[in-house]
Amino acid sequence: MKYAFYPGCSVESTEREYVDSAKEISKVLGIELVEIPDWNCCGAVDAVYAFNPLHSVALAARNLALAEKMQMDVTTLCSACYFTLSRTNKILEEDSGTKSKVDAALESAGLKYNGGVKVRHFADVLLSDVGLEKIKENVKVPLNNLKVASYYGCFLARPPGICNFDNPEHPTRLDELVEALGASKVNYYGKTRCCGASLGITNEKIMLKLSKDVLLSAKSAGANCMITACPLCHLNLDAKQKDIESHFHIKIDLPVLHFTQLIGLAFGMESNQIGLQRNCVSPKMIIPLFASNTQHK
Amino acid sequence: MVHEKTEHDEEVKTVQQVVNSESGKDFLREVMKMPGGEKILGCIQCGTCAGGCPTRFAMDYSPMQIIKMINLGMKRDVLSSSTIWVCSACYTCATRCPRNVSFTTLMMSLKNRAILENMVENSVDSNFHKYFFEVVNKYGRIHEPELLVKLMDKTDLRSLQHNANLGLRLLKKGKLRMRAPKTEQNKWVNNMLEKTSEKVSQ
Repeated sequence: MKYAFYPGCSVESTEREYVDSAKEISKVLGIELVEIPDWNCCGAVDAVYAFNPLHSVALAARNLALAEKMQMDVTTLCSACYFTLSRTNKILEEDSGTKSKVDAALESAGLKYNGGVKVRHFADVLLSDVGLEKIKENVKVPLNNLKVASYYGCFLARPPGICNFDNPEHPTRLDELVEALGASKVNYYGKTRCCGASLGITNEKIMLKLSKDVLLSAKSAGANCMITACPLCHLNLDAKQKDIESHFHIKIDLPVLHFTQLIGLAFGMESNQIGLQRNCVSPKMIIPLFASNTQHK
Repeated sequence: MVHEKTEHDEEVKTVQQVVNSESGKDFLREVMKMPGGEKILGCIQCGTCAGGCPTRFAMDYSPMQIIKMINLGMKRDVLSSSTIWVCSACYTCATRCPRNVSFTTLMMSLKNRAILENMVENSVDSNFHKYFFEVVNKYGRIHEPELLVKLMDKTDLRSLQHNANLGLRLLKKGKLRMRAPKTEQNKWVNNMLEKTSEKVSQ
């Protein structure tokens, strides 16, 4: 299975362990991630779009045009990139005025985009193309005793019609993955609530409150760790957890893993192999919960 | 084909009667042409958007109120509101709206209009967008350290300290890439972006 891999800026510049762990589990599952050569910014959810919508669409379209040449589905680890690239496909299909301007812009970059390149979140590649059965076959250390809160955030399944990974209000696919790895799922209020996204830069107090609500609702529902499928969510929930704690004078201490890291753990990979040492809230405390479960097949 | 009179038509009529000034009508018409504004006349003021909005607590007007204000032609109040910048673009309202108003997309269009018409009340809000745009134009990708440095003297001290702490935390973990991103054929990106830059106000 080969895919045109779109890493995205955020994964590259602040969340490298997400890519590392995705590549490690890809090797095991027979997935080949071929990086789109010379990819650029996806156009951003609203930072570029609000400043100049056409600009944002053109940026995304350039990535899609580069991917079209590769004749593979595009896959990305970032929910926000998943949204912007998919949105661009929709805009180009529906808005001929924008399309002709974007075509002209692409032409000046020596490119052409015919349309219809499929954009997929990496979680969808794992669940739809690889399948839970094959994932289960590779589990060496079942994650029994681990209660995992799957965080879907905004762009895995919203807005419907653009991001179609799961049901927008009651998503379950990551929970099914969690159970396939031997862990148990946690139902909690915050699983589709926003983490605050880029408000962390412009309006930090709002972001701190939003992420606090997500983390505390998972914690009070009994979770001993959380998984995310987006580098931006991970940054707010993991790297900024300390800021949340000091702002609200509370203790949370909930390890937040990239979902690819959780798979890596169940596959019996070493902590360093999946970059666990780079998580800001140390996941060390959850390892003893399942470390003795090694299956001898 | 005969157009049957629907309840929706009645609503449209009522709303149109409320709009009394010419400039008010212009603003409503303008918004209806923006991405996300197409179905705004269908709003029945049910409040689902405001009820589900995670950042409502920090907004001066709720999403539902903003739609009403647009219908009433209150351009200045809408474009200088904190609401459009406090929206985190989570798409909860757009997902739940029973009348399919894509309010989240409209928020982005309104941000764009507020920037173009110089009506942004607090420049901290739009500076993020401005600098993000500049950094992407420079490298073709975003370069977080440069973006944060550009924003530094513009934000308040507390959040400045938080950003610095976050930067250090990421550096210590070996996660923060300090080197600027390099797109090999950056000139192609630049060529392309020149084509789409005509409309941007400086």
